[in-house]
Amino acid sequence: MKRAIYISTPGQLKREGNTLVFISQEAGKKVIPVETVDSIYVFAEITLNKKLLEFLSQKHIPLHFFNYFEYYVGSFYPREHMNSGLIILRQAEYYLNHEWRIGLARAFVYGSLSNMLLNLRTYASRGNDLSTQINAIEELFDELNQASSSAELMALEGHARMAYYEAFDIILANPDFSFEVRSRRPPANRLNALISFGNSLLYVTTLSEIYRTHLDPRIGYLHETNQRSFTLNLDISEVFKPLIVDRVIFSLINRNELKPGDFSEKLGGVYLKEKGARKFLEAYEKRLNETIMHKKLGRKVSYRRLLRLECYKLYRHFLGEEIYSPYVRTR
Amino acid sequence: MFVILVYDAGEKRVQKFHKICKRFLHWFQLSVFEGELSKAQLERLKFELKQVMKPEEDSVIIYSFRTRHYFSREVMGLKKGDPDNIFI
Repeated sequence: MKRAIYISTPGQLKREGNTLVFISQEAGKKVIPVETVDSIYVFAEITLNKKLLEFLSQKHIPLHFFNYFEYYVGSFYPREHMNSGLIILRQAEYYLNHEWRIGLARAFVYGSLSNMLLNLRTYASRGNDLSTQINAIEELFDELNQASSSAELMALEGHARMAYYEAFDIILANPDFSFEVRSRRPPANRLNALISFGNSLLYVTTLSEIYRTHLDPRIGYLHETNQRSFTLNLDISEVFKPLIVDRVIFSLINRNELKPGDFSEKLGGVYLKEKGARKFLEAYEKRLNETIMHKKLGRKVSYRRLLRLECYKLYRHFLGEEIYSPYVRTR
Repeated sequence: MFVILVYDAGEKRVQKFHKICKRFLHWFQLSVFEGELSKAQLERLKFELKQVMKPEEDSVIIYSFRTRHYFSREVMGLKKGDPDNIFI
């Protein structure tokens, strides 16, 4: 039972007695059983030292940092403990071969679109009229096979998302959280703030899962592999955004758990206040731990586990054992 | 599974027990720990404890529950540890 730890109070994180200890003025000293920690997310100002980083490295715990505006800053990604030259070669091979690369990119977009549709259909069955948006996305499926570059696929995904986000206003029917238009850096309204925050969390969660496989997160297929950043986690996250992030947003707003007072306006953008962010994180972590029946495995698995299983599917794809098909929820 | 672990160890080994347990579980009282563990983690914890314990002098009792639903905790007086929470 490994779980993520979220730090939102300022303090000091250190190694003590071969386990983790967090010391803060507010809460005093708190011991964190290191063997049960999966990854750590830091939202507050904390002090740490190299000894701690060495310890996290030894325990294979990635440490992720977010800034004052809850943007992802970066990670302490412990030296890969799973190293496989073979997989890296194969990953590169699949990137360099245009056909193969497009095939994978297409699969990610297909998964993303399918899961968006699932959300729309679910809410349509609850009495919302979403037929325009559903039709718009369904039509895009036909274009999927014609796209010949990952840029085109990205654009396609963007179009789908536009129709999809339009449906948010109908699903939520809450004037406090209207969508208007997708905006980032800075998010212009509350709903955009939630989407941005949720997506960046999912990217990082996926990164943590990739870390536990042999895959190299720097080589992505739908998202351009470039010099600096991790991209494979963006690809995999694309498939799961509707299932994890969007569902968290819907339930938080529809159950009135998030209120306009949980947001504040800073520097021309809208951001979650600390209390609001905490509510979001709680719901997000709960969603990750929610289990669903996995048909192939014949047992229940959590969404967090599902992310890892997705990595293993890619793994088999690269080794030529089984063609990758993205996780698509059917109901 | 949810685990409550209590131990009684010779004076010399009390510290060692404490050190091992706190890596896996939350400390609640002098020799009482609790927390959520997987089967594998529990086995590792038991293995590490076996390395330091003297079976003829020490005793460790582990209560495990499949879910947390059939269980409630009531603390009277001083609260030493805090309930496990993923937020700090």
